[in-house]
Amino acid sequence: MAPSQAAQVNLSPAELSFLRSSLSQTPPIRLDNTKGPRDFRSMVAEYDVLPSTNGSARIALDDGTEALVGVKAEVEKSLWRPNVEGRRALSIAAGDVDMTDDDKLESHDNKGKGQNSWIEISVEIPGYRDDDALPVFLASMLTESLLSSGELKDRLYINNRFHWKLGIDILLLSPPLSYPLALLSMTTHLALLTAHLPALKSEKDEDPLFDDDWDAAVPLYPKSDSSGGANVDKPPVIVLAMAVGPNIIFDPCKEELAVADAVLAIACAPSNASSTGPRIVSIRTIDPPSHLTPPAVPNAMNSATGGVAPASTAEALTQRELLSASGVWTPPRGGMKRDLIKRVSSMVVDKGGVAEEVIAALQAIEVG
Amino acid sequence: MDHFSLKRSNAPDRGNSNLSSKVYVRSTKSGKVQKIVRELYLRQDIPCSSNLCRACLDIAPKDYTNKTASFVLSDTPAGSKNFPNGQYLVPDTNAFLTGMDLFEVETAFHDVIVLQTVLEEVKNRSLPLYHRLVALTKNEGKRFYVFFNEFRQETYISRGTGETINDRNDRAVRQAVQWYNTHIKEAIKARSKKQMRIPSVVMITDDRDNLRKAKAESIPAIKLSDFVSGLENADELLDMISAAQDQREVRSKQTEVFYPEHYSISKMMTGVKAGTMHQGIFNVSPYNYLEGSVHVPTFDKSLLVLGRENGNRAVSGDVVVVEVLPTDQWKAPSTKIIEEETLNKNDNAEIEDGETITSERERKALQEEVKRAHGQSSEGKPQPTARVVGIVKRNWRQYVGHIDQGSVRSTSKSSRQQQMVFLVPMDKRVPKIRIRTRQAGELLGQRVLATIDSWERNSRYPMGHFVRSLGELESKGAETEALLLEWDVQYKPFPKTVLDCLPAEGHDWKVPASTDDPGWKGRRDLRDLLVCSIDPPGCVDIDDALHARQLPNGNFEVGVHIADVSHFVKPNNAMDKEASQRGTTVYLVDKRIDMLPMLLGTDLCSLKPYVERYAFSVLWEVTPDADIVSAHFTKSVIRSREAFSYEQAQIRIDDDSHQDELTNGMRTLLMLSKKLKQKRYDAGALNLASPEVKVQTESETSDPVDVQTKKLLDTNSLVEEFMLLANISVAAKNYEAFPQTALLRRHAAPPKTNFEELSNQLKVKKGLELRSDSSKAVADSLDQCTDANEPFFNTLVRIMATRCMMSAEYFCAGTQAYPEFRHYGLASEIYTHFTSPIRRYADLEAHRQLAAAIDYEPLDASLQSKSKLEGVCKNINVRHRNAQMAGRASIEYYVGQALKGKDINEDGFVMKIFSNGFVVFVPRFGIESLIRLRDLAAPEPEAEFDAENYVLKIKGDVQRNIELFEKVTVRITDEVEESTGKRKVKLTLV
Repeated sequence: MAPSQAAQVNLSPAELSFLRSSLSQTPPIRLDNTKGPRDFRSMVAEYDVLPSTNGSARIALDDGTEALVGVKAEVEKSLWRPNVEGRRALSIAAGDVDMTDDDKLESHDNKGKGQNSWIEISVEIPGYRDDDALPVFLASMLTESLLSSGELKDRLYINNRFHWKLGIDILLLSPPLSYPLALLSMTTHLALLTAHLPALKSEKDEDPLFDDDWDAAVPLYPKSDSSGGANVDKPPVIVLAMAVGPNIIFDPCKEELAVADAVLAIACAPSNASSTGPRIVSIRTIDPPSHLTPPAVPNAMNSATGGVAPASTAEALTQRELLSASGVWTPPRGGMKRDLIKRVSSMVVDKGGVAEEVIAALQAIEVG
Repeated sequence: MDHFSLKRSNAPDRGNSNLSSKVYVRSTKSGKVQKIVRELYLRQDIPCSSNLCRACLDIAPKDYTNKTASFVLSDTPAGSKNFPNGQYLVPDTNAFLTGMDLFEVETAFHDVIVLQTVLEEVKNRSLPLYHRLVALTKNEGKRFYVFFNEFRQETYISRGTGETINDRNDRAVRQAVQWYNTHIKEAIKARSKKQMRIPSVVMITDDRDNLRKAKAESIPAIKLSDFVSGLENADELLDMISAAQDQREVRSKQTEVFYPEHYSISKMMTGVKAGTMHQGIFNVSPYNYLEGSVHVPTFDKSLLVLGRENGNRAVSGDVVVVEVLPTDQWKAPSTKIIEEETLNKNDNAEIEDGETITSERERKALQEEVKRAHGQSSEGKPQPTARVVGIVKRNWRQYVGHIDQGSVRSTSKSSRQQQMVFLVPMDKRVPKIRIRTRQAGELLGQRVLATIDSWERNSRYPMGHFVRSLGELESKGAETEALLLEWDVQYKPFPKTVLDCLPAEGHDWKVPASTDDPGWKGRRDLRDLLVCSIDPPGCVDIDDALHARQLPNGNFEVGVHIADVSHFVKPNNAMDKEASQRGTTVYLVDKRIDMLPMLLGTDLCSLKPYVERYAFSVLWEVTPDADIVSAHFTKSVIRSREAFSYEQAQIRIDDDSHQDELTNGMRTLLMLSKKLKQKRYDAGALNLASPEVKVQTESETSDPVDVQTKKLLDTNSLVEEFMLLANISVAAKNYEAFPQTALLRRHAAPPKTNFEELSNQLKVKKGLELRSDSSKAVADSLDQCTDANEPFFNTLVRIMATRCMMSAEYFCAGTQAYPEFRHYGLASEIYTHFTSPIRRYADLEAHRQLAAAIDYEPLDASLQSKSKLEGVCKNINVRHRNAQMAGRASIEYYVGQALKGKDINEDGFVMKIFSNGFVVFVPRFGIESLIRLRDLAAPEPEAEFDAENYVLKIKGDVQRNIELFEKVTVRITDEVEESTGKRKVKLTLV
């Protein structure tokens, strides 16, 4: 459960009500009326902006929010893990480094050898301390999506004794004008996609030795599999979707979020098999800021306009419940319906869906 | 929305064309791996440095005196067949790697442009070659110019996508050559319209692809060997091209491999860290070329490396990584002499196929050894053996040797056919070197300098190439140069920069007359003291002088005055650097290779009699019982009254008719020195012996006439005692002033195991006991080791005991704990060298530290840095040892010459016994020599070796038992040793 934003939108109940009603029309009219419900805000993206990092990217949205991500990899000694690597680790501890050829078959197989602690994400947002709720939750959501597929951390495995430690530094350059999760995720995606690791020259369990030629460095996410197949892994990307009445709107801006019935963050990764579309790696609901907006007072309940003020809170609630369809602003309450989540996910994941579109767009930046 | 970018553009076409960057991966020692981005600012004011060009003269950067560096390249470069208008040479990296010896030749290869790209590549590939190249660029006569093409905008190129670094660098070289060509052309056009002689800038490369591309781009390029063939004395020059490359071409044909592959660096490092492999320096036994040893920190005793296969292409001196072999392959150290030339006499240098790595005979010799190790076990406990798995660092140097006559196919001098011959190095521990030469006929019978280039898996012997010939075998010049080269003694004349540091007055320099002169500041006037010097006869570099006089209170004032070299040699100037490189003066029989220029060593610093000299004095107040009351250090001015030789001084002291003050002062010194000596011996100082002989030479030709053992007089020990005292006093003072950086000398106590063998030998053969728990115990038990019938026996034991000792070494105080400072041989807690600054660099440093300790002058920064001092110590330790070895080799050579054509019978003693020979020491000539069984009778007599009792029972016609320490009469003749070409003394049993 993500926290609500501290910065509130300064809209009156009447404005909120207007906004909500225009968004719930069919087709919805968004704040930027040129955009449809599935349209993202336009953005400028570039990669390799920080020359001394292993990979970096910057994305600026047209509302002025801008994020910068740098990926740094360092060689680290692995801890001895007796339960995972029982036999082999023991033989190392006994001072007998295994250098024979009998494990040739396993040597290419890193599956399941990666550890969660090998990836560290830090998020910095201007105006927030690093232990404030927003950066911490954003970081943990991004970490979760990166770890969930398990392929990235396995890629960091060098040998039984060494691994790469990946540090991903995410920096929001502007104040968080809208909920920045999607932006940060896309920037991270691009930085990881373009990140390279120095090419390994040593073999097996030797102390790692690397090629000093940076041009020989291998991409963290290889473009094609070693076997030549197209089933390659890509970093996940998180898309933000909100529901207003019957409509589902992607990439909401700050004001739109203020009237959302529900907000969903969906992390998707391209599928391993080329035939099917992207797959969901994690999904989170986000407490929309609309829950915290002040409700409007209907005439019927306002003594100044001839109404009768309710005597107790319970009474007020009952009356509001009855008024819900009248157009008077009432903050949405309650959670999300299962059916809604299903609709959102299918819009994201389906062939030609939002996720595929986003991933292809980001991929195009790197290629073109 | 604005499209601004955070990225700094790297593309040259986006305005910032003078900015580029370089990206690479750096692995640090601690295991970190970093991506490094270096910004590169390209400039246009890097001159071409050709005297033909005026434009560059204007743009060249100026120094603070507003002068530009003078241009290097000649305006009329030498031409050649292909380039008659003259040429500037631009060699690529491989040209330098394979032909460095060529470029160093004085007669050819002038006007060479060394590109920065090439220089950096050479540095990455081979550090020693890089240093030689840098030295070349500083040699004015050769006109080598380093052009920083990577920083000049026109010649900088960025790496294309998918281009390998090598290809990129090749392209950079071509780009630079092209630029140079157009640049020179323009320069000449600007100079005069008439001049037609436009020199070409020629790339020298052996890379076929590079040549092809150069041709396509019409850039002048030529192969190194093609270029050399166009020069005079091409045959000699062609021999100097490294063989490493030829090897490469041959490899495809040769499939047979003799040696296992070396492990990768990362594999070795992992193994060394994990403790499964060990790193150390590979040493080969001088008696047995098949037995190497590697001392590694993990084991007390050295690991043995047996046979060529286990040695795996390591050459003595290399830093290797070894793997210990299983216990059943351990064996005792060899008791057999195995020499290469006796086993592999008939190897053919040309033919390699059909050969096995260990020849049949070698294998037999080894097998006998192993059998022996298993047969007996009480003595000679098996020692761990190991095999070399990889080489961390090659310490190949240039080797002096001679061409093996048997390997030369055609000895005709006129034949210019290239053939493969063996060079047999003088150093027996180094294997034969295969050399390809066109001048085999001429080189026979010459001392030849050669280097090793490579040792491939498919070659039984290393490949090398000829560097130069030193001259006829056995000629004095060649042999002297050979031994200087072998011991790495710098013997070239002092360069001009060094001589420029000398006082301008030259020999006319005098101590200033007026005591107000700055030279007198802080100096005491000791000119009225009756000082004299006592040195070996004919000594011209007089370091030290002494005086003694009675004080009113009945005590004595004793002074040791040392030449004040530090006044003339200031820290960090060219002379100081040269001296610190040389480290010590080297004394050969007929020659002295000075550490400091003659002017200083034999005149200005030397404490010559009758003239005033600057000195550094140590003055003590001493009681008549030779107890020190106080010590005082000062810079001074003295006037020596007389320079005595040891003998003269002794005669004067002994002659009672001399009752002048000077002689009485010497008598006082002698009296005190005897007491000091007794005190030292009481404290446990060792009286060790080494065979010292003196070669008498004819004065004109310095041809040796006779050999004598040196006589020791009382006056020898007089000087010695006071020098020791001065050294100890100065050491204490310097340590007190600079507890971290004082330069001291220590002599570590030898580990017990060193004495094991000698003590066992003494017990078995003579029933004597050698205790080694302290230096006192050693000294006392050495005194007990006498044989009533054989007065020399005690000296023999002392000589053998000396060989069990560690060698003394210089060190920096901060690197050791105080108890480790101890000088074992002198039984002194602390010691340094102070008394011979003319001939030892350590003493000079001690002078500087002492001067600072007494507030005479501030200490130079180089003497305050521990790491710098450690470097100095390391160097002078090596130089010191090499100087000793060179001196000994020189004596050995002259003894050989003195005995040339003689046939004498002399007494000798058996020092060491092998299963097929023994070593005899002849005290009269100070020589020790090996007598092999096969020298006694032909065919080689059978013999039984009793290792436990050190007896060799020779059977057959000879019928004789040889025992350790036995006195034998030997017949001394001389012969030219086949393996090294040295004239050596040959001993045979009578």
